[in-house]
Amino acid sequence: MKNSLMAVAAATAASALALSLPPARALIEQSMVWHMLVQMPLLVTTGWLGAAAFTGRGGTGWHDARRLNRFGLTGFMLALGTMAYWMIPATIDRAVVLPTADLAKIGSLVIAGVALRQSFGVAPAAVQLFFAGSALPMMVWLGAYMAGTDRRLCNAYSLESQIAAGRGLVLLAMFLGLCWGLALWQRGSGSISNARF
Amino acid sequence: MLTFGACLAVLLAALVLMYRATDGGSAFTTETLRRSEVARAPIAVPDFSVIDAGGNAQSLRTLLAQSGDRAWIVDFVYTRCQTVCLALGTTFQRLQATIVEQGLQDRVGLLSISFDPLQDGPPALTDYAKRMGMQPGVWRLVSLAHEADRRRLLERFGIMVVPAPLGEFEHNAALHLIDPATRLVHIFDLGEPGAALQAALVVRDAHVALSDR
Repeated sequence: MKNSLMAVAAATAASALALSLPPARALIEQSMVWHMLVQMPLLVTTGWLGAAAFTGRGGTGWHDARRLNRFGLTGFMLALGTMAYWMIPATIDRAVVLPTADLAKIGSLVIAGVALRQSFGVAPAAVQLFFAGSALPMMVWLGAYMAGTDRRLCNAYSLESQIAAGRGLVLLAMFLGLCWGLALWQRGSGSISNARF
Repeated sequence: MLTFGACLAVLLAALVLMYRATDGGSAFTTETLRRSEVARAPIAVPDFSVIDAGGNAQSLRTLLAQSGDRAWIVDFVYTRCQTVCLALGTTFQRLQATIVEQGLQDRVGLLSISFDPLQDGPPALTDYAKRMGMQPGVWRLVSLAHEADRRRLLERFGIMVVPAPLGEFEHNAALHLIDPATRLVHIFDLGEPGAALQAALVVRDAHVALSDR
């Protein structure tokens, strides 16, 4: 089970990284959809799956990390900050133009994925609601703005590409919200106090 | 307690990084960042060899400096453009009309620079100048003499050109104000030609007043 998870994580990592290197780099240079809705989610997923595959193997390291992440708060904060940062049009442009910024994007989004996985594992529903309740509306708002404005927000992308990415971002937020709701349901929650520590 | 500290540290780091990335929360797009950077610290216009519709080559700085103490409003175009440069063209036509009407041509000049040297040779430039009704004493049109300079020019001015469908380009279109000392001093939105013209006059008159003293 863990091994197959590891294989999926490796495949996700490989495809996310390939998008930053030629020849596939042309995709994220030309299309905001490929950059924001394919590569960035792939990077977060890589972190998530990687963390899932390694959980239980890390020994005391994870245990210490948990003391810094009670209720999943720190991890959520980290993920929220990272996502917000890479949703600023100017930083998206920079990741397209500057290799160093692109590297920072890759590293930080993978870490955000790890943080998310760790936090969702320990966070009570109320804390999850706090996170999902800030992250998802942020995505919906930005997506709706990107799709609705006639102003080009990124110098690196055409308006057409921006509108498509904006719509996609709204859909992605809705999809993630749905997944989160289902996961919560499956956990047999519904009661806020049903937290795992 | 540990978690509380870690949260605060993360929050603080995120805020600092975002503060730095957005110029203190004031600029969320590269375009606004570019404009505020220029407004804070003018950029010397780089020198390039440019050609006009007659096929004459000269240096860009010479062109800007030769007609006396003039400020310039500069835009970047490619002549096949059907979209944003059309809007730029209309804006420049109106500016030209105002300049002629008020007799400002000794103080302010208009310059369109094509960033598509492969397509925009002298014939294309001639055609575009005619279509736009350019008056040579007011509005100049040039293209790069060497294709190799294209990247340097666009980088210096902070213009990003993106290929768009139907062989078009999309680019951040704006009005660039260049003072008589050939420095890029301010960038205006397409929709503010009036403000650009006012500023051009102020910059030009200030330059003349200072050099008189």
